[in-house]
Amino acid sequence: MSAQTRSRSQRTPGERFVAAVRRRLRRTGIWVVLAFLAVWTIFPILLTLSISFKTRADVSADPGFIPSNPTLQGYASVLAQEGFRSAFINSLVVGLGTSVLTLALAVPAAYAFVRFRFRGRHLLLLFTLLPRLIPGLGLMVPLYRLAVWLGAIDQLLTLIVAFTGTVLPLAVWLLVGFFQHVPRELEEAAMVDGAALPKRVRYVVLPLALPAMITIGVLAFREAWNEFNLVLALTSSPGSRTLPYELFLMTQTTGFQNNPGQAAFAIMTIIPFIFVYLRIERFVVGGITSGAVK
Amino acid sequence: MTTRRATERRRRRRAKRAASRPDRGSLVGHSKATPYVLSAPAILAVSVLLAFPVVYAVWGSLYDTEFIGGPGRFVGFQQYVDLFQDPKFLWSMSRTFVFVFGVLILGMTLGLVFGFALHQVTGGMRFLRGVTIVPYLVSGIATAVIFRLILNQNFGQVNRFLEFLGIPAQAWFSDPNLAMLASILAQVWADLPLAVLLILGGLQLMDPQLLDAAEVDGATGWKRAWRISIPLITPQISLSTILLSYQALTSLGVIIALTGGGPVDATRTLTIALYETAFVDLETNEALAIVVVILLFNALLTLGYVGLSRRYNLDEQ
Repeated sequence: MSAQTRSRSQRTPGERFVAAVRRRLRRTGIWVVLAFLAVWTIFPILLTLSISFKTRADVSADPGFIPSNPTLQGYASVLAQEGFRSAFINSLVVGLGTSVLTLALAVPAAYAFVRFRFRGRHLLLLFTLLPRLIPGLGLMVPLYRLAVWLGAIDQLLTLIVAFTGTVLPLAVWLLVGFFQHVPRELEEAAMVDGAALPKRVRYVVLPLALPAMITIGVLAFREAWNEFNLVLALTSSPGSRTLPYELFLMTQTTGFQNNPGQAAFAIMTIIPFIFVYLRIERFVVGGITSGAVK
Repeated sequence: MTTRRATERRRRRRAKRAASRPDRGSLVGHSKATPYVLSAPAILAVSVLLAFPVVYAVWGSLYDTEFIGGPGRFVGFQQYVDLFQDPKFLWSMSRTFVFVFGVLILGMTLGLVFGFALHQVTGGMRFLRGVTIVPYLVSGIATAVIFRLILNQNFGQVNRFLEFLGIPAQAWFSDPNLAMLASILAQVWADLPLAVLLILGGLQLMDPQLLDAAEVDGATGWKRAWRISIPLITPQISLSTILLSYQALTSLGVIIALTGGGPVDATRTLTIALYETAFVDLETNEALAIVVVILLFNALLTLGYVGLSRRYNLDEQ
């Protein structure tokens, strides 16, 4: 800061003018970019929201952003679909199930990796690389064959287990990073006081790790809520699909397209999640970046 | 001078490691089985759900089945030989390269521009960082639906905007090149949050004194960005590049719901080829060979990723 002011006072008036113009240009440039960023990110969703409140005819006839004859027909047509209602419930069940199962498997494993030295600790490295090596896309066909062989096609539990497998490595990684920051002195103190392992974990470790567990719960839920490839592979009957697959089928219908309906469907899969996200943005942003890095 | 400092640094690191070693030991007073019992379910789940499919894919791709559900016949690498002589498969490979390359160019350009701009933002406009994440919450299928609506030839707002600029409305989904562009746009929209957050994170780790020093020396904004900021965030830039390639290489939902691989196979990437072979043509063994090819490309990316994290110590950040 002081270096900056010194250099400014040494400039001639001409140079100072050029510097001021440059600063002004730079500020304007940044604002233009930020405006573009907002348009790029939000406009597609807002335009979809606008279409979802139009009548089918108005989608082409009424170009305005604010619908001139706002209607809930689009939403009503989606809610009237048997497929949407069951898919919504399936998505909720599978999402919550995946969160719970992921945490149930990841918390003990991460705790063991952090607090104990045992053979098999080197497997932790595998957890970092596997999800990179094996994308969900590569799982489609093999898991489909496995599910057919086990007779587990079309069951929500199959989806929950499959999704848990894809989120688990990341969940363990995030939790390991988190447990490392729980001071072991706290636990040792509890141990001296006579608390056995289950008690220590319950009263010392878990309360401290709560933010990390919320992050992982939400990331697992997002994975299950949005996953398409594995649902495509592991379900075949209408009653067992989740929302993305149902939405995909809606786009495949031929004939006169129900554009407001499609828009309403998309919005209804996004909006609940945005509300959850806004409450816990802090955790999730950290989770995404560290998950991406690790 | 430098060697002495390096030795000193190495010595200190070794001392630090030695000091932290007792801390890494097990907790006392527990049964030897405890860590195994705690970690076994997760390790088992990951092996069955992630490792088994790879083994199965490699094994299955070496066989051929005459009819669905029939017995397999060992054919060695014949599936791969057939694939690489099949013009449709080669076409899919080239489409995949175009798609991944397009996503990288657009994604990295926007990622850098948005990252730098967000880095300058202070105060009340910080909420824009939160806004950047929103596409990350939207599923690939919903992304495709959104882009089908805004790129629609008749009522899409993008065409309205083009007409406003004096450019005629475009048939986004019947022109092969435009359909590819539309797929790239949708994919970048969905995955940009990762790149922007990584680059922003890198910029925030930067030492601001370096930039101040450059300003004193008379470096303009562009020069500072090119000569100082960009070199300093090379790790984050490389990492975003790899992550965007991963996402684009394995993207199925966005493309299948947006273009379905068309028109005239213009967007028939490897993922669409895999889907059609496995679930439309029901050629499981051939599909597994395609899976292995995709896994190999993926492994190449992972090698790059491991190299990067070694070089820049990303795990320690």
